[in-house]
Amino acid sequence: MSADKGTNRWLTAALLAPTSMWFLVMLIFPLIVILVFSFGERAAVGGYAAGFTLEQYANLPSRLKAFQNTMIIAPAGTLLCLLVAYPLAYYLALRVRSRYKLLLLVLVIVPFWTSLLVRTYAWIFILGGRGIPALLEWVGIEGVRLINTPGAVLIGIVYGYLPLMVFPIFVSLEKLDKSLLEASSDLGASPLKTFLQVTLPLSMPGIATGCMLVFILLMGEFLIPAFLGGGKVFFIGNALVDLFLQSRNWPFGAAVSVTLVVIMLITVSLYMRLMMRGKTGRDESLM
Amino acid sequence: MRIYAIAVFLFLYVPIGIIVLFSFNAGRHASELRGLSVQWYGKALSNPFVADAFFTSLTVAFSVAVLSSLMGTAAALALQRLKGTMRVLFDGLIYISVMVPGIVIGIATLVALVTVFDFLNPILASLWPEGATPPKLHMGYASVIAAHTLFTMSLVIILVRARIAGMDRALIEASMDLYATPWRTFYQVTLPQIYPAILAGFLLSFTFSFDDFIISFFVAGANTTLPIYIFSSIRRGVTPEVNAIGSMVLAVSLVLLLTAQFLLRQRARR
Repeated sequence: MSADKGTNRWLTAALLAPTSMWFLVMLIFPLIVILVFSFGERAAVGGYAAGFTLEQYANLPSRLKAFQNTMIIAPAGTLLCLLVAYPLAYYLALRVRSRYKLLLLVLVIVPFWTSLLVRTYAWIFILGGRGIPALLEWVGIEGVRLINTPGAVLIGIVYGYLPLMVFPIFVSLEKLDKSLLEASSDLGASPLKTFLQVTLPLSMPGIATGCMLVFILLMGEFLIPAFLGGGKVFFIGNALVDLFLQSRNWPFGAAVSVTLVVIMLITVSLYMRLMMRGKTGRDESLM
Repeated sequence: MRIYAIAVFLFLYVPIGIIVLFSFNAGRHASELRGLSVQWYGKALSNPFVADAFFTSLTVAFSVAVLSSLMGTAAALALQRLKGTMRVLFDGLIYISVMVPGIVIGIATLVALVTVFDFLNPILASLWPEGATPPKLHMGYASVIAAHTLFTMSLVIILVRARIAGMDRALIEASMDLYATPWRTFYQVTLPQIYPAILAGFLLSFTFSFDDFIISFFVAGANTTLPIYIFSSIRRGVTPEVNAIGSMVLAVSLVLLLTAQFLLRQRARR
């Protein structure tokens, strides 16, 4: 029996070995390197020179605009996503016959797994000079500029991340005990009151999960501002591409990356704390 | 309510439809539709740069899918036996690898690997016999595949683990009681039950890798994947050829996704 246990332990270790190697070499090691580099100095030819200085972090305000844009547009985009997604999730979860439910849900999720690059590119087309502005000109409204504005970036965000917001809200609404809704209306509550006092609070976990997922992805967004913001509306991600690939200022880029990850970690832990307070013992999974 | 839902579905699908429609444009300008033709598909497919990028993307995505389904499944099977600190540690790592933004993974991998290569290359050169050209480590296929696999491996672990959790343990015990060897139990009892999840994980990994831009952008070295090619073409201007390439990229991921969905549904029905 004990020999058996020994083999079992070896088997477990062998099965986990490749994954552990990957985490070590491709996740932990690179993150440590970035952390170390962020305290280093810039070499004369670009790249990294060893050192220990807080200079890079002191220099962060020089990219303040990118941080500001990200910290304003990412939450705004998340909120807009929520506003568009909630009614759809509500409809799919509570109003559609179960036969079509899965099909419709799949139709919402499928775009998320296709190329964000190509889907965002479609909007360059639609919002660009020969798209909607040309149509508006045709009906007599002239001089409308859509592309390269914060509005264009927001549209791109809602388009790109809507599926990710719909899914968790759908899951939490779907799980909701329908008899609670009936009880509420039997007791004479108006539909609005039922929604505000029963449905909405019970779907809070889904809302929080969706918002967190979208917000986290938006913090590291590069493509949408690059395509639809046209150099005017840029995010931290765009600043990072510039720092690493154009100006080759690695230590400063490293400091910006570390700051980005720290902001994200703070957001996630705040979310976790909020969720822990909000519910006791109820289990909401991400997937 | 229903009208709203229809409007949102239109919002999701019309832009995709526009790209596909304009890819069949017979005219030479991207934004003027002048009749339909498949000429841009012919142009795109005979462009050696596109063919090259397409081949690179397929090779990378296939390698990523194979590696992550093998390693992810192995890890998911092992993790169910693991308890205590190790379990918490692995859960944390899986969580981090899914959550850290692609751009940070791309940058960190680039910086770390370039630093290691700069350190190793002179050593390799000094070890190599006089006259022969020493191997030079550089960013390329291996670095993209490794960086994509970090994310997709965790994805497979999550999918397969969910399937294992829903599995009937009694079957495994019955198999053991009937004196099947552990290998035979795995092959004849466990594997048939978890294989839809593995296959779905394989297809999702392929799709992720095939569509990824930002990680490849940093770590692909001199190689060009299809998304990188599209990105740089768009920078040069919108052409019907880009629409055709984009439509083909969408088609590849749509086919794979529908297959994955079909498999997951079969899984649910059992």
